[in-house]
Amino acid sequence: MNHDKTQPFLMTGRRRLLGVAAGAATASTLAMPHIARAAEPIRIGLLQAKEGSIAVQAQYLQQGTFLALEQLNNELLGRPAEIVWDDEPSAQGAGQNALQLIQQNKVVALLGGSLSSDALAEEAVAGQHKIPFVINNAAAEEITGAKCNPYTFRLQPPVPVQAAAMLPYLQSIGKRWYFITSSYAFGQDIASSFKKLLAGIGGTVVGDDSVPLGSSDFSSYILKIREAKPDLIIGGLTSADLSNFLKQWKQFGMSDKIPFTEIAVGDTDLWAVGKDNVAGTYTTLWYYKDPNNSPSDKAFAAAYQAKYNRPAADKAWMGWYSAKILFQAINAAGSTKPDAIVEALQNWHEEDGGITVHFDKWNNQLVHRFLVVGVKKHIPDNWNYFDVLRSIPENNEAAEKAFGTAADSACHMTPL
Amino acid sequence: MLDMMIMQAGNGLALGFLYVLIALGLSIIFGLLGIVNFAHGVFFALGAYFSLTLFNLMGWWGIPLALVIVCVIGMITEVLLIRRLYDKEPLISLVVTFGLALLAEAVIRAIWGPQGQPFSAPAWLNGVIIMGPFIIASYRVAIMVCAIVILFGFWMFMNFTPFGRVLRAGSRDPQMVQLLGINLPHVLTGTFGLGCLLAAIAGFLAAPIWTVAPTMGTNAIMPAFVVVTIGGLGSYAGAIVAGLAVGLVQSLTIQFLPEASTAAMYMLMAVVLLLRPRGLFGEQWERFE
Repeated sequence: MNHDKTQPFLMTGRRRLLGVAAGAATASTLAMPHIARAAEPIRIGLLQAKEGSIAVQAQYLQQGTFLALEQLNNELLGRPAEIVWDDEPSAQGAGQNALQLIQQNKVVALLGGSLSSDALAEEAVAGQHKIPFVINNAAAEEITGAKCNPYTFRLQPPVPVQAAAMLPYLQSIGKRWYFITSSYAFGQDIASSFKKLLAGIGGTVVGDDSVPLGSSDFSSYILKIREAKPDLIIGGLTSADLSNFLKQWKQFGMSDKIPFTEIAVGDTDLWAVGKDNVAGTYTTLWYYKDPNNSPSDKAFAAAYQAKYNRPAADKAWMGWYSAKILFQAINAAGSTKPDAIVEALQNWHEEDGGITVHFDKWNNQLVHRFLVVGVKKHIPDNWNYFDVLRSIPENNEAAEKAFGTAADSACHMTPL
Repeated sequence: MLDMMIMQAGNGLALGFLYVLIALGLSIIFGLLGIVNFAHGVFFALGAYFSLTLFNLMGWWGIPLALVIVCVIGMITEVLLIRRLYDKEPLISLVVTFGLALLAEAVIRAIWGPQGQPFSAPAWLNGVIIMGPFIIASYRVAIMVCAIVILFGFWMFMNFTPFGRVLRAGSRDPQMVQLLGINLPHVLTGTFGLGCLLAAIAGFLAAPIWTVAPTMGTNAIMPAFVVVTIGGLGSYAGAIVAGLAVGLVQSLTIQFLPEASTAAMYMLMAVVLLLRPRGLFGEQWERFE
């Protein structure tokens, strides 16, 4: 190695030491979970990705979660409370961080689960260590299906429920469907759920691409779709992947030619595409412009707008609503004992949109209305992209039918 | 099927030109400065973000200014941080620049927010061009043309300008260059700025097809490293050939086995390194032996 050219730039020993110390301090700060306050409060663990393609959604989930606690003056059970936020770097890392929050930070409950793969790992830890866990984003069926446990609750309707809600719209478009889904739990779940529905109506799968998570370029997939000439595309792409696909879809001049649909999308994914490029029909759990939003939802939307100076994305609401339910359950339990919180969560309910919002006792799945939305023909600003086409389910009877019964469920709940 | 493969091959080459642009700056910085710059993706992302911001403020006139700003940020980074790494093992520069990438991504998130930012190509570049079996998006043709012009211009710059000759000489024998009275530190600062400028141009060109988000640099850096490794560290021709090869392999893999499309470029890299450990056009450099 030649050292000559850099001789003038050599650092002194002390400067080198300072540099190393500063680097180590920065690294440790990045690695440490964010702690809201430092007293001896009731601690709630939040597992939400800080890096990677899902971090965009996670940021909104996290903001909604913190806002829910702020609205309670950062108090639970009359005591100070704080949220300890840790990362979801991978499924394995998410599970390890869940364990760390339980064992080292002594959290009384967990919130989070940005991706289905992360949520499944966290769910296993929560079940094993008997800590209540409310999953605020992940939608894979097995979370409240085959992998269920009595300590894990989930906000997002499972994929098959949302897929079935879309069927009347999709059927009217055509029966030759092309699947483009991310190659992880959520995408696989979408592909299998929609294929079952398609088989039921006698349709044909004309293409089925499983895309590596975090893909940037979709041009080759678009060429395949163009060649296959389907009636409809079923998407199962997440976050930035969805945004990238839709941008390139438009550039290939396809957005007016073949309809695109996807379930459980985030507002932020479509905002990132830009109003000139976005198209399609989607399901979403909440929309800030839905005229049927409850008064408390409207108050949340106003509080979020006031704090962040932008409309509340669906993910912000999902973070807020999950946290609100958990905090109300802790206060109702009058205790931080896990079994008491679980029992309070199972008994928690409120009226909204003509149905009783509650967790089904056999799988801990929240029964809540969700929306089928279509992109407006003329988008007025950078946020208001959707027309609400339908709110599902309309009443409690329809809710039971949509979300299924214990007999339909693959979940076999063990006793507490 | 043959038509489809030809179509995918054409599309792969178009994608490859984008990879070449991203990787070229990385290759220059390694080849001329000996720095394994893991923060290269940050300058790619900054190119997209500054282009977007200044485009919104000034229209298309803001784009050159955005690229110059990223170049200047790169030069400041070289003066404050990178030049302290020249006498260190390549592994140290990798670790430090990795830390810089994490920090810079957090700064981008703090300034522009976590959400993706919409940035569209001009409407006249939407749609496809069909030439026989080839179907290619108009915007990708524009990227190819830009890439070819930039590559040719860069080749001319390196071979036919005094600064280019100093750069090439300095990368091989810095002591001799200094003995000739040339202020080498200034040259090295300019070189790092040039690498960052190329990253910024790639970021600007990629912004209408890839989401402008804080993570876009992270997504770009891995293909760039694969291209540079396959082509041979520091090789200009190697970066071009490898970039096109990676684009081609990815497109053809998507046609037959989409799940393996990301793994395919790593497989290609493994095969090339097994057959030729210095990469396709890698040379023996005294400094790195």
